[in-house]
Amino acid sequence: MSRPPPERVLDARYLEPPGPFVQTMEMLDTLAPGEQMLLLLYREPHPLYRVLQQNGHRWSVELQPDGTFEILITC
Amino acid sequence: MQALLSFDKSPPLSAPLRFFLTAPVFAMLAGILLLVDGPEVLASRWSPLTLAATHLFTLGFMLQVMLGALIQVLPVVAGANLAHPARIASGVHATLTLGTLVLVWAFLFPAPGLLHLAATLLGLAILVFLLTAGRAVFAVPTTSPTIRGLKLAFAGLAMTAGLGVLLALALGSGWSLSLLDWVDLHATWGLGGWSAVLLMTLAYVVVPMFQLTPAYRVRASVWMPVSLALSAAVWTLAVLAQLPWLSGLAAWVMALAGLAFAGMTLVLQRQRRRARPDATLAYWQVACMASAVGLVLWRLSGFALVEDWSPLPLLIGVLIMMGGYGGFITGMLYKIVPFLGWLHLQNLAGPGKPVPAMNKLLSEAAMRGQQRLFFAAFALLTAACVWPEWLARPAGLAFLLAHAALLVNLLKAVRAYRACRASLGQAA
Repeated sequence: MSRPPPERVLDARYLEPPGPFVQTMEMLDTLAPGEQMLLLLYREPHPLYRVLQQNGHRWSVELQPDGTFEILITC
Repeated sequence: MQALLSFDKSPPLSAPLRFFLTAPVFAMLAGILLLVDGPEVLASRWSPLTLAATHLFTLGFMLQVMLGALIQVLPVVAGANLAHPARIASGVHATLTLGTLVLVWAFLFPAPGLLHLAATLLGLAILVFLLTAGRAVFAVPTTSPTIRGLKLAFAGLAMTAGLGVLLALALGSGWSLSLLDWVDLHATWGLGGWSAVLLMTLAYVVVPMFQLTPAYRVRASVWMPVSLALSAAVWTLAVLAQLPWLSGLAAWVMALAGLAFAGMTLVLQRQRRRARPDATLAYWQVACMASAVGLVLWRLSGFALVEDWSPLPLLIGVLIMMGGYGGFITGMLYKIVPFLGWLHLQNLAGPGKPVPAMNKLLSEAAMRGQQRLFFAAFALLTAACVWPEWLARPAGLAFLLAHAALLVNLLKAVRAYRACRASLGQAA
């Protein structure tokens, strides 16, 4: 998975809900079409997937051995 | 922000709440049974009173909360959406509640046909749940250890229910069945293949999310539930083939998986980033330790030094079921109920509108107060296994009070949620 620059990486692993969701949506609002962001979480965000789908974004997921889900979102 | 959390596929709050509010009532009934009948309830694992109290807790408390929570969280943790969740919730809840009451009545006041009726009602409730929720879970791809665990847990629930129905029909019809082996198998699937697998699977999500800990390592989060399910399956083969050494081996694997989970959870909790300990953390710490002690005693129970100690089977049951599952479930309820209330309020309010924080729906002081009662009840019940004549009734009273306080706390959270909803100008 190609990593976006650090300012486009959101490490939400120690954020309480709904912090990860809210901050992801805020970062997505700053992206131009085709730009990417990387979300790090300790769970799969299924409600977020639904919203991404509704808004026409694409994403791919990799699960790391330490339990981190790396979710690469393309605007 | 483009959209808030999507709730179009989520069930209404009333769907899980009806299960959560019924569960403490069944635990209170178990307390009343112990208060009224005292030491007789703790006389033997096999007495009808003990079976009634056990099923008031396992079916009435544990299963009610588990099914209610699953109906609500499956879309969130697995992306699995149930068709008609509100209708399924009300049907399963009513049938499960009635079936549990009939089963307990059949243990206490045996009459022809009662066990058959209980088996029919409980079998139907679980079958409907499995056909709807199970179908939703098996339809999603296995992209995480949580989804794999949920699939295994559903298979475990099917086995537990099938064996329970078989035992009820066998008892009610006088079939010749090696009851000792089949009851052990039913308990193995119920506590290991279903409850422990489900607990682990949900813990992978809720422990890091609510207690701000690191995640469970992927390798461990795959092998722990798989080992439990496999050992329960091997145990079943051992009973069918009458190979006691094989069921002994399966029991060791099962105990080691449970101990690994308890130990790993305690280690993760020590690494949490949430500075202040809360009621849920204390509940889970006690539950991990109680289960670990219970599992060690269970495996030691075959050795000559302790195998003749008559309180041991009940003591193991109390440690694992009340201290372990009771603690895990109550601790989880204290996160899930305020969180769901807050989530629904946030959704009603709309993006950017403030709603009261989770701790405004249920205060930490209220949870801590109930927790002290629960820990006292657990200590008394553990001691009552050894000294039933003196302590069975005080333990029953404490158990009753602890779960009455839990019901009061949950009702407080519901009332606070309704008040907030009214202030947001929403219709009931």
